[in-house]
Amino acid sequence: MMPMEVSTLTTVAFWAAAAMTLGFATIVVTQRDVFRAAIALAGSFLGVGILYFVLSAEFVGVVQILVYVGAISVLMAFAVMFIQDIASGSRPVQGRVIGATVAVLIFAALAFTAYNTNWSLMDEITDPVAVAALTEGYIEIGTGDGVRVATEVPPGSNDVVVENDGVLVDSTSAVGVLLVREYLLAFEIIGLLLVAALIGGLLLMREPSGANEPEPEKEVASV
Amino acid sequence: MTIENVLLVSAALFAIGAYGVVSRRSLVTVIMSLELMFNGVVIAAVGFSRFTPSAALLSSDPLTAEAIRSALTGHVFAIFVTAVAAGEAALAFALVFAMYRATASVEITDASEMKN
Repeated sequence: MMPMEVSTLTTVAFWAAAAMTLGFATIVVTQRDVFRAAIALAGSFLGVGILYFVLSAEFVGVVQILVYVGAISVLMAFAVMFIQDIASGSRPVQGRVIGATVAVLIFAALAFTAYNTNWSLMDEITDPVAVAALTEGYIEIGTGDGVRVATEVPPGSNDVVVENDGVLVDSTSAVGVLLVREYLLAFEIIGLLLVAALIGGLLLMREPSGANEPEPEKEVASV
Repeated sequence: MTIENVLLVSAALFAIGAYGVVSRRSLVTVIMSLELMFNGVVIAAVGFSRFTPSAALLSSDPLTAEAIRSALTGHVFAIFVTAVAAGEAALAFALVFAMYRATASVEITDASEMKN
């Protein structure tokens, strides 16, 4: 039994999004004009976002579009405009051929591993309740530690029943539950990390203290 | 669309990013390429979440809600990596600006001396 058959339309959308991602990514690493590279980077991020939607990861796709296309691309554009002599372009370095060779070797090793590993697949799941829980939906019966999982309510049961959609079909709510139950500590630490990055960025961007004030005095003294 | 296809796209994006990191001279483009590599890794995580079952779903233990939710661990991983990448981008650009102020250059060959 194969949960979530892949339709032809999905495959076409997958390859279209993959072509968009890789095409724009190639422009990013070959374009001399840094501003054009920044625009191509936004296109590449958008392609990755579409890929997530095709892979039925709607929440990750929305996060991708908000964070990468919305925030990081704008940050890149600001950086390009802030730095004046960027117009001279991003010249490639001398060891470009070595870099290309290394990149091709990395790709070859990863692709070889991907095609030569015997991945366990979804159709190895034998439990029919587990298959239904992934694609169609499941119900949780009872509360606390005594929660049981089933596909339909047993007759004559008075327990509390929570109905859920299949986690691969409606992934957003299940990801929300994962973030505040199993991964709560990591979730809090990521918030702390972002605050630390924010403060660190502000500290690095600040004008060095005393760099502005003493200089006018010196000029006055010399005049 | 199979797990192999997804990993192929992921590996291609990672390799393109790696090429950009070593072949560009401008630090801004190097950071852009780094973000591409991050994206390549996250595509692999989401692909594994979509196509391969977690160990809890394959085991013969009684099925629990935790085991069902563990099918989406890759999505949570993707969100955490995205958050780390966002923090990394903000800090990296702060460093680039600091270097630009000190040396009036953003070329990676001018960054070999980071004193004062």
